[in-house]
Amino acid sequence: MAKIRSNTVVVCDAGPLIHLDEVGHLQLLADFKKVIVPHGVRREVNNHRRISFEEADISWSLVKAVFPLEQSVKTICNLFSLDAGEKESLSLLNNEPDAIFLTDDAAARIVAIKLGYRVHGTIGVLVRAIRRDLLNPEEVADALQRIRDVSTLYIKNSLLQEVITKVKQEQR
Amino acid sequence: MKTIQTEIPENLYKGAVALAEQGWFRNEKEVFSEAIRRFLESHQPELMDNFIRDDVEWGLHGED
Repeated sequence: MAKIRSNTVVVCDAGPLIHLDEVGHLQLLADFKKVIVPHGVRREVNNHRRISFEEADISWSLVKAVFPLEQSVKTICNLFSLDAGEKESLSLLNNEPDAIFLTDDAAARIVAIKLGYRVHGTIGVLVRAIRRDLLNPEEVADALQRIRDVSTLYIKNSLLQEVITKVKQEQR
Repeated sequence: MKTIQTEIPENLYKGAVALAEQGWFRNEKEVFSEAIRRFLESHQPELMDNFIRDDVEWGLHGED
């Protein structure tokens, strides 16, 4: 584990929480200064996984409040059929513009990028673990393989293998 | 038009039927077609590839 926690705040959608938990690496979120989880996201996660949100090492911020979205943002969200948790995430990002939005949903990612936010997903968090000295390249490669074998995150296999190859090259 | 047979969660089916009953769509089949069309529009293969590559780049060379 990196000795000093990153200063980065993340707002989490359900996907990365579920997928990181599925591959056994939810604790990677402990590296972030704050992990903001909107109420709607927590509800969605709990429909799929038993995540307690009490993991002591992770700086959870479970937020119930929903801030009003501008009408134009609401319209974009509706056009892209974003769910309640994703809309809550975007409203929270409005108050945390420097935060990174973690999502594996392509539509939510498109909207967030268009609104000017930084966005990454499960793959990014896993690969980042190498740079942050949280996992070695071999461990990350194993986790990426588990994405295909045990998780509900769907990635084109040829691309996943390309990522695994790139990650393994990091240890040379 | 292609006819398919599939299974979906009960609540999704009920939601589609409700939209049709409220007059927003002619029937639930149109709801499903529209939902799939929108999903396909936001899930272009090239775009999703780019998202993954961007994640890898951030993961390996980001500065946070």
